Amino acid sequence: MPPKSSSFGAGARAGTSSSGGGLPALSSDDMCPVCKTIRYLNKDMEFLIHPDCYHSMCSNCVNRLFNDGPNQCPYAGCHKTLRRKGFRAPFFGDLSVEREVDIRRRVAAVFNQVEDDFETLLDYNNYLQMVEDLTFELVHGTDQKRQQAEAQLQAWEAEHKADIERNRRAGREADDLQRRRIAAERDAARQRRIEAIKEAEEEKRERVRSREAELDSMQTGEAGGGGGGGQRVQLKRRGQVNKNTADAAANMIQDKNAAAAAGADGLGVGRLSIRGLKEKKRPPPPEGPYDPFGGLDFIPSRYTLEPKGTLNHPALDHWRLDQGHITGGYSFDEYISRAMFDAFAGLGVFIEDEKELGGQTGLSAGQVATIGGGIGAVGDKMELDAS
Amino acid sequence: MEFNIDELPVLFPYPRIYPEQYAYMCDLKKTLDAGGHCVLEMPSGTGKTVTLLSLIVAYQQYYPEHRKLIYCSRTMSEIEKALAELKALMKFRTERLGYEEEFRGLGLTSRKNLCLHPSVKREKSGAVVDARCRSLTAGFVKEKKERGEDVDVCIYHDNLDNLEPHNLIPNGVWTLDGLLRYGEQHKQCPYFTARRMMQFCNVIIYSYHYLLDPKIAERVSKDLSKDCIVVFDEAHNIDNVCIESLSTDITEDSLRRATRGAQNLEAKINQMRDSDQKKLQDEYEKLVEGLRGAGEGRQEDAFMANPALPDDLLKEAVPGNIRRAEHFVAFLKRFIEYLKTRMKVRQVISETPPSFLSHLKEYTFIEKKPLRFCSERLTSLVRTLELTNIEDYQPLQQVATFATLVATYEKGFLLILEPYESDTAEVPNPVLHFTCLDAAIAIKPVFDRFSSVVITSGTISPLEMYPKMLGFTTVVQESYSMTLARRSFLPMIVTRGSDQAAISTSFQVRNEPSVVRNYGNLLTEFARITPDGMVVFFPSYLYMESIISMWQGMGILDEVWKYKLILVETPDAQETSLALETYRTACCKGRGAVFLCVARGKVSEGIDFDHHYGRTVLCIGVPFQYTESRILKARLEFLRETYRIRENDFLSFDAMRHAAQCLGRVLRGKDDYGIMVLADRRFQKKRNQLPNWINQALLDADVGISTDMAVSSARRFFKQMGQPFRTKDQEGVSIWTLEHLKAYQEKKAEETIRELQAQQNQRQLMDAQANGNANGGAGRGDSDYEMDDDDEAELMALDHH
Ligand code: SF4
Ligand SMILES: [Zn+2]
Ligand SMILES: [Zn+2]
Repeated sequence: MPPKSSSFGAGARAGTSSSGGGLPALSSDDMCPVCKTIRYLNKDMEFLIHPDCYHSMCSNCVNRLFNDGPNQCPYAGCHKTLRRKGFRAPFFGDLSVEREVDIRRRVAAVFNQVEDDFETLLDYNNYLQMVEDLTFELVHGTDQKRQQAEAQLQAWEAEHKADIERNRRAGREADDLQRRRIAAERDAARQRRIEAIKEAEEEKRERVRSREAELDSMQTGEAGGGGGGGQRVQLKRRGQVNKNTADAAANMIQDKNAAAAAGADGLGVGRLSIRGLKEKKRPPPPEGPYDPFGGLDFIPSRYTLEPKGTLNHPALDHWRLDQGHITGGYSFDEYISRAMFDAFAGLGVFIEDEKELGGQTGLSAGQVATIGGGIGAVGDKMELDAS
Repeated sequence: MEFNIDELPVLFPYPRIYPEQYAYMCDLKKTLDAGGHCVLEMPSGTGKTVTLLSLIVAYQQYYPEHRKLIYCSRTMSEIEKALAELKALMKFRTERLGYEEEFRGLGLTSRKNLCLHPSVKREKSGAVVDARCRSLTAGFVKEKKERGEDVDVCIYHDNLDNLEPHNLIPNGVWTLDGLLRYGEQHKQCPYFTARRMMQFCNVIIYSYHYLLDPKIAERVSKDLSKDCIVVFDEAHNIDNVCIESLSTDITEDSLRRATRGAQNLEAKINQMRDSDQKKLQDEYEKLVEGLRGAGEGRQEDAFMANPALPDDLLKEAVPGNIRRAEHFVAFLKRFIEYLKTRMKVRQVISETPPSFLSHLKEYTFIEKKPLRFCSERLTSLVRTLELTNIEDYQPLQQVATFATLVATYEKGFLLILEPYESDTAEVPNPVLHFTCLDAAIAIKPVFDRFSSVVITSGTISPLEMYPKMLGFTTVVQESYSMTLARRSFLPMIVTRGSDQAAISTSFQVRNEPSVVRNYGNLLTEFARITPDGMVVFFPSYLYMESIISMWQGMGILDEVWKYKLILVETPDAQETSLALETYRTACCKGRGAVFLCVARGKVSEGIDFDHHYGRTVLCIGVPFQYTESRILKARLEFLRETYRIRENDFLSFDAMRHAAQCLGRVLRGKDDYGIMVLADRRFQKKRNQLPNWINQALLDADVGISTDMAVSSARRFFKQMGQPFRTKDQEGVSIWTLEHLKAYQEKKAEETIRELQAQQNQRQLMDAQANGNANGGAGRGDSDYEMDDDDEAELMALDHH
């Protein structure tokens, strides 16, 4: 029987009245009733109870008092001997409920009949009430009543051992099943969610793709988009012309459309057909980025350079290592590439030809460059042929 | 005006009728004939209520079943309006018919509005009025009085008992005022008069809650017969009403008070055990037999309301372990303690009812079954203990309701525990939301019980969404367009500012100065050209505040101030109504005003800006819901899983129905005119989600325009509207006289005849061919294929290409 009150815990009890067994309840601004530490000083303070007397104290106190073996509960008037092992954190704030639930756990383990075990619902309900009455005696009853109830409990347990065992197993299975069902449902929901997200993404991508495809086909103006436009146009004129002329007309309009589409930055022109538009010239192909060298490339064509840093010939060591040459910014590889360039420069330039071309007036720099490039290319081929 | 629809004679209390009103009546009649549900969208300001009432009353009076009409509306003012219309209609009928019909129409509202008791009626809060009234009128109070004890009673209530129970009030239509006056004259309580007379009425007009909130519906509406015609007017938000009626929020404070309630109960039980053991014993014995036996159930004076319970549950006896009063109280306390413990968790938890129950059972040994009986058991106990100060037990009742619901429904509900009010909050303030996700649960009893349910509103697009969400099927589903003799409203979708930059209130750009400035320009421009009143809607309070302060900094408000007074809606109802009053005055005086309000606030739902009170409505941004809310997220997920409604579809639908509500505010009749501006880039794609009548009036040229184009368009519109316009111009087009109507009906009839004839010819032809086939053997019924020739040509052309 827990004592009705104690000298400790006045602070902790304030504000909460527990009707159960006069047990102190935790309040939000907790203070340990044993060492008077308040939560303000120790944020992580944790309260523990022992199911023998449900007196709560902070974990520090528990460690201090019970680490060296069994000891007496520090609450005044409580003479229970407690062990460290029995202490645990309470689930409920109201310790009388904590105690009640512990008792219920014991009772539920014994009285675990289910509705199917009874003939009628009324019988079952009477049974439930009987169990509840017994539990009440155990929780709230006087000492004597409690012992009586305890005895009843034990007697019932002994009497119905087989039944209890069977129901326990069935109950556990049912619980398992239930838990698995919940888990499965949760999984399924998650799965569905993922799928939905995927679906939405796929749809979005599909939309983007189709738009791009449309734009592309309009840009190229040939087969895809232009053709579609042609078809649509053709649908509109069905029945008016025979198929051949329809085809011809479609092709013509298709060309027009393609031109218009390209001209209008690929906006949705492909599907419109406007008759009597002036035939427009196909605009020049779009310009790439400006190339100041007019397409000349500087990769040497008559020789190849070893990859940087791999050329290692004793004859060249002088150029590589001689301190006299080496200053800031000097690079051996650069030196080699310059040397090679100088050596080959001018090969494949035919002065006579150059003279002829130079005679033509009004050539732009770009064109000269292009021509030069062309000659270079010719020269390449010649050399290739020769080798 | 008097005409027939098929064989049904309809008396319409006006000399003229709108074509859409006539169409509405025809569809309504079809629904009633077929005995099914329907969804009807009728443009705002086209006299929906009177149309509805005159058809249904005609229907009632003509057919021998005399089906009762239950007309549900949302607000007090709407209820009063409907009652006034009904009264006028009945007066007209009497004049026309030359005699008064056997007819009774009543409105019902809360005790707070109908109480006559000199001290009770002075209470401010509705809950207190209810509670005090109950303590004066409960059954045991009367018993006590009869026993000669000295108890307070309400004389207005007791006087009713001296009257014939089916004739508490004479025939006729009783507006709320009329009811109050009659009650005062005859010293009888108007509230209970209306409640008790409901069974003997032809028309009942009351608020949604009396049907949808299962906690009230059970008591108020249980005696209504199956063939009643139920109408939900202004029903565009009906799904939210359904959901709210079954959701509860539990806080630490309410749990604390629930504990106190349980302790009081315990004390009372102990008291009674000492003094009046017999009563407890009686209750106990009744409970052994079955729940319904305990106190003959749910009378009008039932103390506490219970949520919807399945019928089988009601017939069952209370589980043995909560039969005894003290057992039950201990049970409640254990449950409350458990909830308190759960509330201590400092992370967000969302949980389905089954998983909650299994955790609960593991830690408290509370089974599902007694939990389901919680709320009924509590009601019974409270009655036995003869408690009068019910409001003290309200939190306990809330917990019990929650217990019952969580144990009854496995699907369609979710528990969400939010330990902090917001993401940035430091101090925990946990709330346990028990939220209903499925609007169909609350409204299901209504659809199950009544054969004809009409769901109607000015903006209820897209129509198919509602049957989907509420789980019913319709026989008629119709959206009417507005017939107009002149273009009296101008909807526009503005997507670009005057600098051609796109405007939008989406999160990425909403605070960019250029966007804010563009919105500001839009406001200034329209403030300049709009005569009198102008209403502006923002998607949320938060955004409204931030944009207003930015406008202040940019000097935009000063500019607007030159043309109009600026008034702002606040969450405070009183402030807002004051602002509204000022706004009206300013409009009447000619100073003109702009009212800045929120698309989901009070103004957007209930307040009309007719005529000069609103010439322009400017909807800034798409009024999306706040999607970070966990409750909304859960609901979206539920909708997707259960009804295959995708998140974005629902959000967009919800935003557009609010936008449409806002737009509808300015147009309240055919002689009214106004401009509706939707200012957001995203509206362009959502155009089809607008109600039919708005969408039809929206020209392609007015979609996706910039501010300056909108302004010039608006200028032209106002100039046109300024021209004289007579009713005569509308006749035959947007208004029909009886002749027009007759002509139309004749034309319709002719068409039907022609159609029938055509069908008949066809049938004959087919018959002949069938005969031919039978004779010839190989022939085919070519007529079926004839129309496909063109298609075929098309297909071939495609192939060829
Ligand atoms: S019975 Fe009627 S008048 Fe009397 S207190 Fe209740 S509501 Fe008021
Ligand atoms: Zn301590
Ligand atoms: Zn102890």
